[in-house]
Amino acid sequence: MNIRCFPRKFSSALPPLVPLQLPSPMETHLWYILPNEVKSVALLNQYSELLSPCERENVNRMGGDQLKKRALLARALVRTTIARYQTNCQMNPRSLKFRKNIYGKPEIGIDVEGKQRKIKNDIIAFAQRYFSPCEVKLLTAISDSEIQRQEFIKLWTLKEAYVKALGKGFSAVPFKTFTIRFKASTIRCFHLPGNSVSEASEVIVESSDDPKNLPNNWQFALLEVAASHYVAICTEKDKIVGGEANRPMKLTVRKTIPFVEDVCVSGTDAVLVLGGIIEQ
Amino acid sequence: MASLTGASLNFTSLSSSFRRTQLPLRGISNVKSVSFPSLRMQPGFRVSCMAKPETVDKVCEIVRKQLALPDGSSLTGESKFAELGADSLDTVEIVMGLEEEFGISVEEDSAQSISTVQDAADLIEMLKEKNNA
Repeated sequence: MNIRCFPRKFSSALPPLVPLQLPSPMETHLWYILPNEVKSVALLNQYSELLSPCERENVNRMGGDQLKKRALLARALVRTTIARYQTNCQMNPRSLKFRKNIYGKPEIGIDVEGKQRKIKNDIIAFAQRYFSPCEVKLLTAISDSEIQRQEFIKLWTLKEAYVKALGKGFSAVPFKTFTIRFKASTIRCFHLPGNSVSEASEVIVESSDDPKNLPNNWQFALLEVAASHYVAICTEKDKIVGGEANRPMKLTVRKTIPFVEDVCVSGTDAVLVLGGIIEQ
Repeated sequence: MASLTGASLNFTSLSSSFRRTQLPLRGISNVKSVSFPSLRMQPGFRVSCMAKPETVDKVCEIVRKQLALPDGSSLTGESKFAELGADSLDTVEIVMGLEEEFGISVEEDSAQSISTVQDAADLIEMLKEKNNA
């Protein structure tokens, strides 16, 4: 039985968020919001009410209305998303407190970049400066400059996601010290009938110091979302005792406008799998 | 052009507090920032020489170009990259632009410690002096 309790009085103008079960271990839920779809000033004000005074101050420091709006939506998205996953008690997103913890190990990393994003520096010069020799070679081999730019951005998001998942920061794991690449999947996948499993190329990471010896603990998803952005997700692999088989990454993707609508977009055109063994 | 905001922890600020604790162990990056009008004291504080105005101007120019800031938008030494809308890729691109412009080489941990125009300019002066020494 679900007991709903209200630690604080809800703002009467907002309907409660639809509560959800926590993802089971090794299941990943991705939520996103499209700022262009949020136009109501009243709604934006309500989101603002959810933030702590400190967060509101940070939002106001952003230069320009678009940046303020994005910052506001980002914090509102974090608060409302986490608030949904309280199974016994309807949590008011306003009552969440966030603390920065330097010892926190996330075990999941995510990065998002716009597909159309222009790179100001020369891509190969940039790659030579920051990426691994293997990755430079791969990018150099692409003759079409537009495809090269896209592959560069995909690689950037994957590398960022990996470093974030490790939780040690950019300088502890310099980009040059590891290679991320695609390889055709040769592993057997177990999947439930009825669920779609995408078998695009597997994405793997190799340490430059120790290319083959370290067990590969990490799995990746590379997605094109809303036809406009590349999203890379990196999570720890489910360790299966004794088996050679790897399970696909179980992923559910939802588009949301908090308090207005939630749409599960997994398996639709809104989510294109570009890399990784994913079960949606 | 659509823009998308994903739910994730704000890793830029997370790594920034992690970084500040790390700084005393890193030697050359252990610098204390001196800026007008008052001394800025931060945990694991940084010491640097005050950057020349021309350096700050040049940094502003590079930042403006990288972030495609509208003409006439205000940009000073105190401007924070994150507040100008820079993400991690922008910051790395800016650092690369600074390396090329000033003929310096910025290490990853120093690159991570730059959050304002002034930080960048101070770091440039320090690295230039190192080069000249």
